[in-house]
Amino acid sequence: MMSLLSKRQLPHMLAAAFCVLPTLAQASEAELARRLDQLAAELQSVRAELAATRQQAAAAAIAAPVAPVAPVVAATTPTAAAPAADNPSAPQTVIGGYGEVNYNRPTKHARDAQTDVRRVVIGVSHRFDEKTKLVTEFEWEHAVTSAGDRGEAAVEQAYIEREFGNGLRAKAGLFLIPAGLLNTNHEPTAFYGVERNFVETAIIPSTWREAGVGVSSTLENGLTWDVGLTTGFDLGKWDATSTDGRESPLGSIHQEGQLAKSRDLAVHGALNWRGVPGLLLGGSLFSGKAGQQSTDFAGNAARVTIWDAHARYTPGRWDLSALYARGSISNAGNLNLASLGSPNPIPSVFSGWYTQAAFRAVQSGDYTLSPFVRYERFNTAQAYAGLPAGSDAVPGPNEKVVTVGANLRVGEGVVLKADYQKFSEDTTRDRLNLGLGYAF
Amino acid sequence: MREQGNGIHPGLVVLVGTLAGTMAPGAFATQYLSIEQAQQLMFPAATAFRPAPVQLSSEQMHAMETLSGLPARSVGWRVTAAWQDAKLLGYVVQDDVIGKVELISYAVALSPQGEVGQVEILAYRESHGFEIRNPAWRRQFVGKTAQAGLKVGEGIANISGATLSCTHVTDGVRRIAALVQVVFKA
Repeated sequence: MMSLLSKRQLPHMLAAAFCVLPTLAQASEAELARRLDQLAAELQSVRAELAATRQQAAAAAIAAPVAPVAPVVAATTPTAAAPAADNPSAPQTVIGGYGEVNYNRPTKHARDAQTDVRRVVIGVSHRFDEKTKLVTEFEWEHAVTSAGDRGEAAVEQAYIEREFGNGLRAKAGLFLIPAGLLNTNHEPTAFYGVERNFVETAIIPSTWREAGVGVSSTLENGLTWDVGLTTGFDLGKWDATSTDGRESPLGSIHQEGQLAKSRDLAVHGALNWRGVPGLLLGGSLFSGKAGQQSTDFAGNAARVTIWDAHARYTPGRWDLSALYARGSISNAGNLNLASLGSPNPIPSVFSGWYTQAAFRAVQSGDYTLSPFVRYERFNTAQAYAGLPAGSDAVPGPNEKVVTVGANLRVGEGVVLKADYQKFSEDTTRDRLNLGLGYAF
Repeated sequence: MREQGNGIHPGLVVLVGTLAGTMAPGAFATQYLSIEQAQQLMFPAATAFRPAPVQLSSEQMHAMETLSGLPARSVGWRVTAAWQDAKLLGYVVQDDVIGKVELISYAVALSPQGEVGQVEILAYRESHGFEIRNPAWRRQFVGKTAQAGLKVGEGIANISGATLSCTHVTDGVRRIAALVQVVFKA
């Protein structure tokens, strides 16, 4: 209270000081001394008033006759019982953001070393009232976006969230799918390593958002549940001649709220349990048809389903996590048959898992150094359906990647990262990575 | 063309069934407590709650910063003393901290010596991290003082996905524990 009053009074006091100072400059020494005395006297009187107020408060606490609970509780209202919900200092419109600048140096092909402003994101959230808010995030990838450049500008999130009295929260708009550990916590300060892990970019797309509605709630036993109905994937976007689908099958057919075909919608659900402090156990499921009932399209019966199971445990200085994700695209055999001979058929199964251990080794001032190691195994084309025996397309190998490095946190919002990634199949991808990230 | 429209995956039916089973009535009893409700909950034996607002002197602020390792942040604090007849049971301190971008309102009950008795979340406004209301997480604070055990990773376990909320509430409780020790501890 006092600090608020002081803040309000500050401009007046400053204004008064500016008025008084020129006069003081002209006043005689005696006049100055007199005024100083006057100020000292006033200060003394303010001190006395403050002391009296303190004594009064103390006396009220000690000497007042004990009253029944209810009336006294009511009497506390002016000082302590103002409902937090009405807190006037609660921000209404908040600007946030995050970004990352990365350097990748393939150790066997140093000439391909690259520096990239991977992404810069600006978020604006606005609270309309205590229960209703808007969340938006706008993203620029690869620094420059124009017809002749390779950057990308996108709306990453734009949804309205409404809270209901019974603990339910509903949202509508473009929002992140609650899959895995990374998708809803994808700021560079929230994950280890310069680049996001492969399983949660190649198998679960990242940053994966859909337009639709969702409902969620957190129970007192630590269980959070999410269910939703959203747009799904568009298998019509699959390009069997490109390698995009090989890098991330779902990343190549996602719609991201861009004139998204919505004949076939998808459903999702997630359960996350945090009942034991430091432990998170969870899983998610997303499923929807992906043909969008397009005219003369052989894949109208196709369905995309992806699920994951994940765990994270943070005892003391340790941060341990593991995740398994498996996706399938069913009934796409006809499409593969139609594009026979193309290098990149639609996989019927893709999956992967990783396990990671990080340790907060050094904490000095606002610097925190956390070395980590991660082992990943993933396959973006584990099996193909519909291809005749002897077809050129063979399922991909299980790529295995070991990442060793460290995150150096500077305060809460800045992170410097360095790591080395060793690939067991395609060793030409072995690389050294350096990164700078921030989030606020 | 085998199937028209959006079929519901059988896994989701199981998931929704599981959820229906977990939605016990009254599961949200601790959500959006008023300060009066929190006071009663934290000191059920109290016969009176009396305001004991604190205005810190600069020496007290300095002592508080030394004890908690955090900036004292403000001069004025919303404190209520809980009494059982003539016996002082302890104090309730009400505070707000920023979670990620929004305010978290919470109240801490402490013994007259500054030991944390209970932490209650009064209002939480972020889109994620509601799990800090989880009683198991809040129980970690019980019996601790500003001297030890009130830091994320050193006595208080983090909640995955709610790191900032956890850290800021934990720091807030440590600051309040230091406040009570500096101002009230005999």
